[in-house]
Amino acid sequence: MLSFLLALGLAAADSVPAPRPAAAPAVVVHRQPALPIVALRLSVLADDPAGYAGAGHLMQHLHLPRLQDRAARVGGRVQAERTSDAVVYTVVGPASELGYLAETLQATLAAPAAGTPEMLSALAALNEERGAEREVAASYIRGALRARLFPQDLSAAGTEASAARLSVARLGDVWGAMYRPDRVSIVAVGDVEIEGVRRAFRDVAAPATRPLEAFADTVRALAADTPQATRAWIARGWSASELDPAAVTVATRLIRTQLRRRMTRSAVEVEHWWTHDGQAVALVVATPDSLVRVARSSADAALATVAGALDDRAVRDAAAGVRREMLFFARTPERMAEVLGAFADRGLGPDAAQRFFAAVEEVTADDVRAVLAALGENGVVAVDVPAQRLRRPS
Amino acid sequence: MRSGWIAAALALASASAAAQDRVMVRPEPGTPVVAAEVLIAVGPVDEAAGKEGITYLTARSVTAPILPVLDSLEARLTVEQQKDAVSFTVIAAPDTWEEATRTLLVALFRDPVDSVATVRQRTATVAELAAREGSPADALAREVDAAVFGKEHPWGRPAVGTAASVRRLRPGEVDAFLRSGFTADRAVVAIVGPVQRGAGEALAAFMEPGPLRLPEIDPPSPADEPVRQNYQAITAWVSATYPFSTDADEEAIRMLARLALERVSFGVQRPQVYDASAEVVRYAGGGELRMQLVVPPGEAEDWANRLAQAVSEYADEPLSDPIFAERLRRFRGERLLELEGPEDRARTLARRMMLGLSTSALTDAEALTPARLRAAARALRDPIVVYLGPFVEEESGN
Repeated sequence: MLSFLLALGLAAADSVPAPRPAAAPAVVVHRQPALPIVALRLSVLADDPAGYAGAGHLMQHLHLPRLQDRAARVGGRVQAERTSDAVVYTVVGPASELGYLAETLQATLAAPAAGTPEMLSALAALNEERGAEREVAASYIRGALRARLFPQDLSAAGTEASAARLSVARLGDVWGAMYRPDRVSIVAVGDVEIEGVRRAFRDVAAPATRPLEAFADTVRALAADTPQATRAWIARGWSASELDPAAVTVATRLIRTQLRRRMTRSAVEVEHWWTHDGQAVALVVATPDSLVRVARSSADAALATVAGALDDRAVRDAAAGVRREMLFFARTPERMAEVLGAFADRGLGPDAAQRFFAAVEEVTADDVRAVLAALGENGVVAVDVPAQRLRRPS
Repeated sequence: MRSGWIAAALALASASAAAQDRVMVRPEPGTPVVAAEVLIAVGPVDEAAGKEGITYLTARSVTAPILPVLDSLEARLTVEQQKDAVSFTVIAAPDTWEEATRTLLVALFRDPVDSVATVRQRTATVAELAAREGSPADALAREVDAAVFGKEHPWGRPAVGTAASVRRLRPGEVDAFLRSGFTADRAVVAIVGPVQRGAGEALAAFMEPGPLRLPEIDPPSPADEPVRQNYQAITAWVSATYPFSTDADEEAIRMLARLALERVSFGVQRPQVYDASAEVVRYAGGGELRMQLVVPPGEAEDWANRLAQAVSEYADEPLSDPIFAERLRRFRGERLLELEGPEDRARTLARRMMLGLSTSALTDAEALTPARLRAAARALRDPIVVYLGPFVEEESGN
């Protein structure tokens, strides 16, 4: 009964996709008839073309004002996000406006028509985002860790060199190098049927483009920067690319629980990073300057500490916690679309979220032990940011 | 001990039909979590002089000890003090919602107050209120409440009390208030999510037999002149409040609020408007449309007039059908998105139950017409206007 009720949340979806032509977008529908609204999430699986890092996000900045304006006409809301896997747009509005909302989203499948003022404004926004990633310790240390764990995964905001290229490039050609209809994935959550969603997205075409000259993307080493930090920041990362994602998620939660219990005066986050580039477990600790040594040794011993305290009950509790947290996060159609879409964007198939949700419940203490051992063997990546100190007057 | 209470509560399965009527279930297959809203009709009207804020402190104190239990169930609890009631919202997974909600009901209706938790919550509440008291938004809310209801009216003062009043409250007083004010005959419960229609039966055992008991509320004594309150800032706040009666067309007033707000919000034609907001609140005995603008101090009166005009223009002529249809298309979407989360729907249902309103639909925006919109605008009386800003020079004639 318990698992049946849990399953109602993520698994009882109208999401079995019918066979589709090679050039048509993948469509997943999760029916939630509670309220006559729909969240439509459109993603284009894409890496930015070589030398044009930030291209996908630049297009989003250029598309967004028009999208917001159109969605507002029906009382809807738009969100644009550049993930490591895809260029993503989500629009939420009345289910009765499905056709209108789908048409709104489909406009993002072509390069935006941008004049000089719009282009300058979008490039300035990207520049600010790049700066913000380096400015504050919390985002800086994650960026530095990501650069070590996934060197090929550049910032969504790109680099200074790529921004210069994008400012003079033909956007149609850049977009043409990223986009193909079979890379498009649609997730619809709400009071809609799969046939209606398919109809609404039937006209997805590829633009005609010219080949794009490739360049190397280079990014300034983060170590050369100094972020703002009033506390000391300690980050540890372990590659987990070949491991079972469900077991990695449960292990991540166990590490978080264990470290939070031990490090009560520090802020502890332990995250499971999972993209099409691979997986990693990232530990980020912010701690008062006086506790740095202790915090560092706790972080370095994190895997061994969890392995030493592991039992079946702790694993069961952690797995249940992960599943409940997923349900809580996905409690609105927009969030549910985000969860389902993120799994689909990793190239794992349309029912990947449901399979993952079920797999988490099956994780055993042995699975977690195997993950902890493999993480240890893969080696740790460490990044530390010291707390800034005020100079004492002489 | 706790499980003993739960068992005892379950044994009271012969709750009356009236009590069950106060537990409403909205089954929603496909919604991933369950939201349970417990709304208790207790608030400032029940507070003795000098005990302002005791309702809110009691609500926090009685729920603080159960937070670790709720955490272990991955359930989230939100406590909000409203004018006529205190709201407890639990959001939990389908396998834990019942235990989480029972834990809350046991804490509210069975357990005594923990004095250590009360002292901790008092300290925290005092700190929060002291920090808020300096903010202009809070200052404006205080002035508007006093102007709309009258300074002596229980709703004319902050529903959560003040730092000074809360600081004086003692654990024994909180415990006594819990027993007298937080009673099951004042409570309604709304459950929304992937549950069966009969899911509320077990919780009905916590409810006292008999109809819902609501405290009597004195009629308000609103200010008959605009209120000007000096406040040192570089901007001015203008508030126009339109009280409405129990039988008012709430949905039409909500649409009217959106339309009027568009006419006074920041834009190319109105660069001097820093912020604009509108809120429609329904409470026992009626409700209010409260509109607010943040503008340059020298333009405050002009904007108060423009605000009133933005509302009254909709009373003059009904909108043409095409224009109304376009506006309604937008409003309908905005209204639906306000109810996006299961907790939003649970809160709406619980409030409607408490006020004796229909719970068959969450919104009837679809049924709005130009005539309803116009009638709603015509039914509004003159607004109660409050100015907050740096007006010293003007008043002294400098």
